Order: sequence, then structure tokens, then C-alpha cells
Amino acid sequence: MLAWDILIRWSPGGLLPRPWEVVQGLTELAQKGLLFKYIVASLFRVTWGYVAAAVLAIPFGLMLGWHRRGELALNPLIQILRPISPLAWIPISILWFGVGDVAALFLIFMASFLPLTVTAMNAVKNILPTHLNAGRNFGLSPAQIVLKVIYPSVMPQLIAGLRITLGIAWLVVVAAEMIAVNSGLGFLIIDARNAGNRYDLVVAGMVMIGLIGLVLDLGMRRLEKLKSLRWGYASE
Amino acid sequence: MTDAKKVALGVLAWTSVVSALHLHFNVDWAPILNDRLPEHRRKINVAYIPVTCHLACPVTDYITRFTKTGNLFLPKMFQGFPEIKEALISNKMQAAFMVAPMAMALWSQGVPVKIVYLGHRYGSGVVVHKDGGVRTFADLKGKTIAIPSRFSDERLIVFRVMKKFNMTAADLKMVEMAPPDVAGALAARAIDAFSMGEPFPSQAEMGGFGRVLFHAREHWPDYMSCVLVVRQDLIDRRPETVQALVDGIARSGLWLDDGRPHREHAADFVGRYYYNQDPKLLRWALTNPLDRVVYTALTPYKEDFDLVRDLMIETGVLDRRIEFQDYVDTRFAEGARRQTPWKYVPNSGVAE
Repeated sequence: MLAWDILIRWSPGGLLPRPWEVVQGLTELAQKGLLFKYIVASLFRVTWGYVAAAVLAIPFGLMLGWHRRGELALNPLIQILRPISPLAWIPISILWFGVGDVAALFLIFMASFLPLTVTAMNAVKNILPTHLNAGRNFGLSPAQIVLKVIYPSVMPQLIAGLRITLGIAWLVVVAAEMIAVNSGLGFLIIDARNAGNRYDLVVAGMVMIGLIGLVLDLGMRRLEKLKSLRWGYASE
Repeated sequence: MTDAKKVALGVLAWTSVVSALHLHFNVDWAPILNDRLPEHRRKINVAYIPVTCHLACPVTDYITRFTKTGNLFLPKMFQGFPEIKEALISNKMQAAFMVAPMAMALWSQGVPVKIVYLGHRYGSGVVVHKDGGVRTFADLKGKTIAIPSRFSDERLIVFRVMKKFNMTAADLKMVEMAPPDVAGALAARAIDAFSMGEPFPSQAEMGGFGRVLFHAREHWPDYMSCVLVVRQDLIDRRPETVQALVDGIARSGLWLDDGRPHREHAADFVGRYYYNQDPKLLRWALTNPLDRVVYTALTPYKEDFDLVRDLMIETGVLDRRIEFQDYVDTRFAEGARRQTPWKYVPNSGVAE
């Protein structure tokens, strides 16, 4: 905080806010009831975009990882699409979905879907053949192999991938809320830029995004501590 | 209960709670319900961005809420022209305020839209740093100037003045920058000047670091920047709706130009309820002086648009001559000529 304050004193223009001004900005937003509304809006968009991506990408990735031909056919396409920034999808999302929540959800979905697909695909490929053979030797049916061998084998890697991807989804919320939604922490930043000299609110939005990102990451870390997954991690 | 079930239930509960809160606090139900009405009863969506060039849009929406018939359309605030353009192309917006060169370029590229009215006249200027040593336009030689878009009149005015001072494009470094960022960039001396519409010149003046080098009207009499654009299918199917929209904008323009109290009141309600800007900033832009931006004489004229077209061709953003009668539909502006200002006394809660 001290370093921040000192840096602001030295910065040219004198428009950047000092820590106390950002706290005042956050207080103003809270008093107007906007802070809670905007946090809810961003969490809603990230939740739906991310959950939809997880629900579709994980089975899809597992299937590609299990069936070599599927991977050979689709992996090049996935690798072409994967480096495209979610920002590049903005015009297409507006043309397809118009303006509002659905376009924003689509951007977050796109940011999450491909990383999760690749994670799931790699997780299946990394299953030790010994485990699969042991399952078969014990006479497990295909469905039992999925439930008792594949599922527990891929979960540690999937959880790590889910944690990283949630960070990406949260990162994209600013870009997603640039496109004509009128709520959310990303919108707060864009809107504050339009409001004249309100850089305190710009930084307030950045601080809230950072803090909530931290809370989300802590939540995902709790998943890693679940008893059924702990086998995949080094003992503490 | 297994861990997997606990996680699934947790995700379900979280999604339900956050969705319920979002639906309660943030969702604007008016456009959603409007989309479900039969087409002839549906209100059109009109896009704008929070600049004074588009002020007649929120003013019309606000005042018509106090009339017996209610608001004429659903305004939708955007943060930039590219998003407006895409929403218009995909028919998510049926009408929009946008810079004239962009509207003309869209039409020339085959997008089915027509210009039906102007949004304002004047209201743009070139701003320099107060202590930057720039006294005349010639002093900008070799310096960096920010413009909102290559498809903007703010860029064209710079070219027009460059010619007057015998300067060429090589004498000036022109950069495209989002309008909200220019005042901060000027304060930090990242740029030497900017050519923008209000309220950004006012923001630099109010902040004490910017000085208006010239207003656009000083070098371009009858300067216009933003226009009202409507989709062709709406014009064909519901001309009466387009006429009502243009009439409403015309009446708001007359009301805004009716004197300082109206402008001050508009600065207050637009700043608070539409633009989320400090009303003091809008008040500065609208009253300092009163004709800094003008909202009357908004009928499109061929001479004005021919000038813009020729400058666009000259500066390489339009590849062919397009004719005024092809991309402008003047019948709605003609129909609005006899309109009178809204009868609305500030804070009365009644309008007609």
C-alpha cells in the first residue's frame, strides 16, 4: 500500500488514485448498492459460462483421449482454436447472440471450453496401462472400468485443470462485460472510464476482481483436499 | 454422501443462488418482454454511447416517460462504435446513433441501413495540453494526436485543418484511441493533442490540464458528427415508427436548445440515470457556452454529406463516390420539420 501510494505521487498527470481514494470509491459503490449487484452479475456470468464449458468439455475431452481416432481427427482443430484470444470472439458473439448476458456467457465459455477439453484429453492419455489392465483382470465391465478406474485416475489432473481454467474464465469477465451489458465488475471498469476522472472506480473494479479471483481459487483448492482425490497429490 | 455428490450439490446450490440474485438485481426485463410482443407492437431498440453527440436519445427516452403514450423506444447504452455496428448488422438494434463516416461506410459495404437524421451539430474540438507550448495548429507538426476512429468526423476535421496549414499526413502522428482514455493520456503527456467529441474536451478543461485549440465549427461551419441510422427493413415495414422516432429526437433537440434551464436539467438526469457521468461534466459541455453543442437544424443536407464523402475518399476510408439520395432518407426529417419542443417543465413529471 505504501509502495502504491509513493508510486502514485511520482506518476505523471496526477489522475491515478491513491489507496485511500480507492477505498472511498468502493464505499461509494457499496452505499449506492452497486457493488453487490456488480459482483453478483460477474459471478453469474462466470458461473454459467464456466459450468457449461466444464459439463461439455470434460466428457468431450475424455472421449477424445480414449478414442485415438477422435483425437487424430479433432486435435488439430482444437490446437488451431486454442490460441485465439477470447477478445477476438467479441464481434462474432455479438453477431450470433446480440447484446446482453448470452454474448458474455459465450465469451467465458469459449475461454474455458478448449483448455478443459485438452486437460481431460491428456488426463485419459496419462492413465497408467497397469491400472486399466488390473481392472480388466479383475473382470470389470466397461462401465465399471469408467467408474472405478478412469474416473479416479483422471480426477487429480482434471481438478488442477479446472482450477487453472476458472482463473482464465474470471480473467475474461472484463472483456465479456465490455459488450453492452450494463452490470458487472468488468462493466464497472469500462463505465468508470466513460465517467470522466473516476479512475478511483477503475482501480476499485480491479481490486474487487483480484480479491474475488483469490476467493475462487481458494474454493478450488478445497476441492483438491477432498479425500477421494488426495491420492493424486504429494502428502503434506 | 460421496465427495462427487457433495461437489455436484454445491455447484447446483451456488448456480441457483447466484442466478436468482442476478435475475432479481440486474436483469432488465423490459427488452425481454418487448421481444415477445407481436412485431407491430414491439418497441425498437436504439443504440447510443455516453457522449453529448447522442444526448437527444436519452433525453427523448426520459421525457417521453412522462407523456400519456410513454416511451417511444428502448435505449441501449454501448461503450463503443464497433459493438453498435455489429448489433445493427445482426438486427439486435434497429436504430443507432453513430459517426457519419462509419454510417456511410457501412452503407457502401452493403449493410442495409439509411441515415435519417443528424444527432447534433458542432460539439467536437481539438484539445492540447495547457502547458504544452502549442499555440496554433502548425505547432502540432511532428506531434501525436489521438482520434476516436478512422471513420470519424473528428479525424476528417484534422485533415481539413492540416490542409489549411499546408501540412500533410506525414507531419502529424495520428493514433486511434478510445474516447474515454484521451483525457488521461493528455494529462500524462502520452499524447500531445486529441480531436474528440464532447464531453471529453470539457473533461480536459475541467481537469485543468487541457485547452481547446479550436472547436470544429471554427474550421468547418455547420459541422456535424453523429447521425441517426435506421435499418432498411424497419423503414420498409414500419415507416410510422421511424417517423415517431425522428419526431421525438427533433422535439428533444428543440427542447434542449430552448435555454440554459433545460440544458442544466438534461445534464442532471442524463448524467445520473443514463451516462453514469458527473452532471457537472455534462453541464460544462452543454452550457460553456450554450452553443458548444447544438441540437437543432438536424435535417441532413446534401452539401454536408458530400463534403464528408469527399474527405473520406481523399483520406482513404471510402473507395468510391456514393450519392446522398442513396444512403440518406430525408422524408422523416422533412416530416419532423413542423415539430415543436416537448412541453416539459423540469421536475414537473408531466410532458406532452
